[in-house]
Amino acid sequence: MAARFGYRAPRRREELLALLGEYGERARVLAGGTDLLGDVRSGLAHPEVMVDLKRVEGYRELGWSADDGLLIRPGVTINDLLGDDRVRASYPLLAACAQDLASHQIRNRATVIGNVVNASPCADLSPALLCLGAHAVLSSQEGRREVPFTEFFTGAKRTVLRTGELLEEVVVPPAGADARGSYHKLKRIKGHDLGIVGVAALAEDGALRLGISSCAPTPLLVDGLSTHDPVDEVVAAARAAISPISDVRCTKEYRTHMVGVYVRRALEEVA
Amino acid sequence: MLISVTVNGDVFEREVEEHWTLLRFLRDGLGLTGTKEGCGAGECGACTVELDGRTVNSCLALAVEADGASIRTIEGEADQGRLSTIQAAFARHHAVQCGFCTGGMVMSVRDLLQRNPRPTVEEIKEGIEGNFCRCTGYEQIVEAVLDASGQLDAAKGVLRHV
Amino acid sequence: MSDRLRTVGADVPRVETVEKLTGDALYTGDLLLPGMLHAKVKHSPHARARILRIDTARAEALPGVRAVLTGHELDYRIGLYVVDKDILAKDVVRHFGEAVAAVAADTPEIAGEAVGLIEVEYDVLTPVLDPMAAIRDDAPLVHPDLGSYAYVEAAFSPQPGTNIAHRQLVRKGDLDRGFAEAEWIVEREYTNPSVQHVPLETHVVVVQWKAGDQVTIWTSAQSPFTVRNLFCTALRLPLNQVRVVVPHVGGGFGGKAGIHLEPLVACLSRKAGGRPVRLQATREEEFSLLPCRSALTYRIRTGVRSDGTITAQQMTMYWDAGAYADYAVNVTRASAYSSGGPYDIPNAAVDAYAIYTNKPYGTAYRGFGHVEFFWGLERHMELVAQAIGMDSLEFRRRNLLRPGSLTLTGERITEHTGDPRACLDAVAEAIDYGRLTAAEAEHERTTGRKVGKGVATLHKAPAMPSFTATAAVVKMNSDASVVVNIALMEIGQGCDTALAQIVAERLRFPVERVKVAVERDTDKDPYDWQTVASKGLILSGNACLLACDDLLRQAYEVAGQALRANVVDLDHDADRVFVAHRPEESVTFAELSIGYAFPNGNGIGGPLVGVGRYIAQGLTNLDKETGQGLPALDWTYGAHGVVVDVDPETGEFDVLAISSAYDVGRVVNPGLVRGQAIGGMVQGLGTALCEGYIYDQQGRLLNPSFTDNKIPTARDIPARIDSAVVETAQLDGPFGARGVGEHPMISVAPAIGNAIQHATGAELLHMPMRFEDVWRALRSHDPIDNWITETPVGSCRSDLPGGDATVHPADAVAHPGSTHTPEVALP
Repeated sequence: MAARFGYRAPRRREELLALLGEYGERARVLAGGTDLLGDVRSGLAHPEVMVDLKRVEGYRELGWSADDGLLIRPGVTINDLLGDDRVRASYPLLAACAQDLASHQIRNRATVIGNVVNASPCADLSPALLCLGAHAVLSSQEGRREVPFTEFFTGAKRTVLRTGELLEEVVVPPAGADARGSYHKLKRIKGHDLGIVGVAALAEDGALRLGISSCAPTPLLVDGLSTHDPVDEVVAAARAAISPISDVRCTKEYRTHMVGVYVRRALEEVA
Repeated sequence: MLISVTVNGDVFEREVEEHWTLLRFLRDGLGLTGTKEGCGAGECGACTVELDGRTVNSCLALAVEADGASIRTIEGEADQGRLSTIQAAFARHHAVQCGFCTGGMVMSVRDLLQRNPRPTVEEIKEGIEGNFCRCTGYEQIVEAVLDASGQLDAAKGVLRHV
Repeated sequence: MSDRLRTVGADVPRVETVEKLTGDALYTGDLLLPGMLHAKVKHSPHARARILRIDTARAEALPGVRAVLTGHELDYRIGLYVVDKDILAKDVVRHFGEAVAAVAADTPEIAGEAVGLIEVEYDVLTPVLDPMAAIRDDAPLVHPDLGSYAYVEAAFSPQPGTNIAHRQLVRKGDLDRGFAEAEWIVEREYTNPSVQHVPLETHVVVVQWKAGDQVTIWTSAQSPFTVRNLFCTALRLPLNQVRVVVPHVGGGFGGKAGIHLEPLVACLSRKAGGRPVRLQATREEEFSLLPCRSALTYRIRTGVRSDGTITAQQMTMYWDAGAYADYAVNVTRASAYSSGGPYDIPNAAVDAYAIYTNKPYGTAYRGFGHVEFFWGLERHMELVAQAIGMDSLEFRRRNLLRPGSLTLTGERITEHTGDPRACLDAVAEAIDYGRLTAAEAEHERTTGRKVGKGVATLHKAPAMPSFTATAAVVKMNSDASVVVNIALMEIGQGCDTALAQIVAERLRFPVERVKVAVERDTDKDPYDWQTVASKGLILSGNACLLACDDLLRQAYEVAGQALRANVVDLDHDADRVFVAHRPEESVTFAELSIGYAFPNGNGIGGPLVGVGRYIAQGLTNLDKETGQGLPALDWTYGAHGVVVDVDPETGEFDVLAISSAYDVGRVVNPGLVRGQAIGGMVQGLGTALCEGYIYDQQGRLLNPSFTDNKIPTARDIPARIDSAVVETAQLDGPFGARGVGEHPMISVAPAIGNAIQHATGAELLHMPMRFEDVWRALRSHDPIDNWITETPVGSCRSDLPGGDATVHPADAVAHPGSTHTPEVALP
């Protein structure tokens, strides 16, 4: 690492929240570290102290509740999620998005919550969480609040998280038995790559939701659609929601085109 | 910070700087230079080691995070100089060229075969997708993994003479 | 002959594979020297700027800093063919990422912190980015002092007062008459960007400059003697005071062929009082501090008769050398004389330019220009065939070189030169060229994708001085094992194994008794020019054979005395020299190895040390006006056949199968040949599919990492890979062998492009062929103009430069699309 920093690994959540409160912006929460340590190496992050949450009791476990559904805690890695049979059975869309995230080694370290908190427009898990109606539980010494993911992202790499606050739990409501999902991700190669365009679709009781990544400053949800809507209208709704840019990965023209292609294909799969 | 780690079965207690990566600790702290740095950013997999039974890019883990952990590196793969099944298959199938990716590659293959003792070609390719190799084009590595997993019939690549 | 060979041709495991598999193999970056310091480099954030001021005071004051260097302290200039580069930028910076200052400190962290404390004030100038703009009369000069630089006059022609670092001309036959004889003229322009080699090991150097100007350099270099010789020339030191040591090298591909970080690190060591200093390039530095492969714009105009006979071809190459000439001028030279491919072109003209621009500079890269220009040439052959309504395989066959043909430089092809036709036919057959199999037709039906097949040919000769030489030493141990010393580097290509097999074959020893010493050392090993150009097998192979002969001659001489026999009556096997007609009268190699002792104690002979020297035979310089001459040690021909499926809706494609065939003369080791074939093919796949430098309008590199410069992973290789060889013996090659290190990377891209065209009709003129490029070609949209992009901000990264910068399109930037001048004319 280019920079020096301190390291704390609290065992209890109260201790963790106290450290975040104490250090404020000088602290960074270290979960899987796959984004954060890269940022430190390239000089984009300059924490004074790393607060490692992986040793906090209970943080590496998935939780289940009949009412709330799946509870994902901060130490849960992508491969923890993929290795859980119940997740694969009940949340195939989430599993599909997780499976496409980076390489096996990265999935062994990267956490679900880290992927979300990083708030990259191309984060793999966000489209699924948006489609599934998930919400975030944010905790700090001051207390706790719940924010749906539709309101969580405020811009590229920006969220509603306040200084001293931790995304402590992602809650994914139980999906209906008839829910059908699909995920399409455009990559430059077949091997591990960031999403250039990502489209998740979820059909449930005739309602259709689209989660789209890499096509706006934030991952976004296109809601209020029906599986009975004409395909062209669904595509038009998706295209109206996005605001893609041209960058080193592709042009906005291609992104716009690919969103249309993926929405059509998703509809064929879920409707 | 003082940490205690078990590496390839040996226990080490060492004072490390908090900002040291696990990769740097293994190389500079313990002299285990078989683990290589290819990018420092978790993309190439040359630094792959096993941390508490899971493969990780050691360039993207801190040494202090490994306190109390058990680590396995390429230096732990051969037994008293005798090549492991995987290593021997790599040698037979020309799965090594410059050798710089080899340590991390073998660690990923070992992990794959523990999870999946008879992987298909597609599963092998997925299992090593996080390990770049710029020399071999991967095909002979895939053949070596097929051989190491007892699927030799599928493994034998040939050079055709015309 | 082959049935009598025992070791040559056998699938011997690599000789150094065990230590690489256990992690024991030491690379330069693994070395730890007492008192070693760590270096970091301060880079230019600008492509072109005047340096107004550098303030190093704060860096020097930082505890733990042992040396800080800037360009003005260093009165040395380096250069391989044109001596045009300062060790650290002086007064001006010429490319993004260029080194302007450097620090050596106790730890890498302190060095990094010190670099951050160095203040540099720049006057930023408008860069020259596009080579086509750089050759306009009004273009700013990257090197206003070009006329004063030293250069290798026998081979190169810099044009002072311009940005042209070298101009290579080739003239054959009568071009005007050839075009007059043509019924069709097809002209197109083909382009590709710069790319990075991406060896897994980044460049790393440790240097200790000891008292009395005794310098030792440990470096991850391909060519230890080139490093030593260029270092001594630049630093004005005698050759015997500088020692270059190279342990294992983690891949090179040409990127480690010349001299790079060594002089800088040496000067840091000297300034730090002689303490050893280590510098390991970061992956990001590989992209812009260190050199890349040059971009190329290749314009081809071909005259052809309706029967498919090529009558004339005019070829113009614009090579983007970047800020320094390095190897780019020689890439230009070698590509020019090779530019027509393995085709018989009676009337031809080539004008090839190496052009300075304000970008990271170009160097050697596997294929040495041929990957780039064969992209254009073999796409062009496809388009010419299409224009005249002929099958492109048939068109190629009709025009291939055959015995009696003359190359562009006037070399006559013989039946021993190699067989491009056999290679082409082999790959066409392997992929069922020209038709879809039942399974492929079914694949089209079930996936909605379009299946297409394409072929492409290739050739390449080593690009090297006409008098390129090498030597080998074979030393016998007292147990009759031998150690071979050479300076050709093992960088993964397998030369140590191949040469061990050649030595074992000649000595009639089992290969286990032959060791090729791993670490190369210019103080201890005999000279070799460079590890480049696919010339190692022929030149070092021949040197090894001669060294074996020399060793055997010495052994026979002593054995003759020991056995009281004439040397002419002696023969040998793996263990003994014996009287041919009385084999029981023998003496073992072990007894002869370090001097033979008679029963009474008298000694004769001495340690057996065979020396072999070999120099390229019969090559000449090229005439500067016509390019005529003999530049080629050997020609290796080959071909690729590719099957793709393309999603016509998205442009996504997948290479389903690839077949390759090369005329290697003689297979020394099938596993090694296959390794080169597949490894090169996959590297060629990367260059075809996704690799390439993207700059903003200020010349800042936007994708200097694996995040946005992808390379193929295991998941990206074709499901079916077929490797074939043709063996037309090379008369002057060891056991008939010729080199095949670079060739597998050549012409993969055009074979894919041709297959995509067969599948969908998309006419791709630019490589790489990203999915969006294919999509655009299918819809005849303008190509993506993002190689020098107007929209530099990435969607997922806030750290990319340019986000808050003023974008002012430089008038120097031409749209790649606007220069396409397709023309299909009927006379």
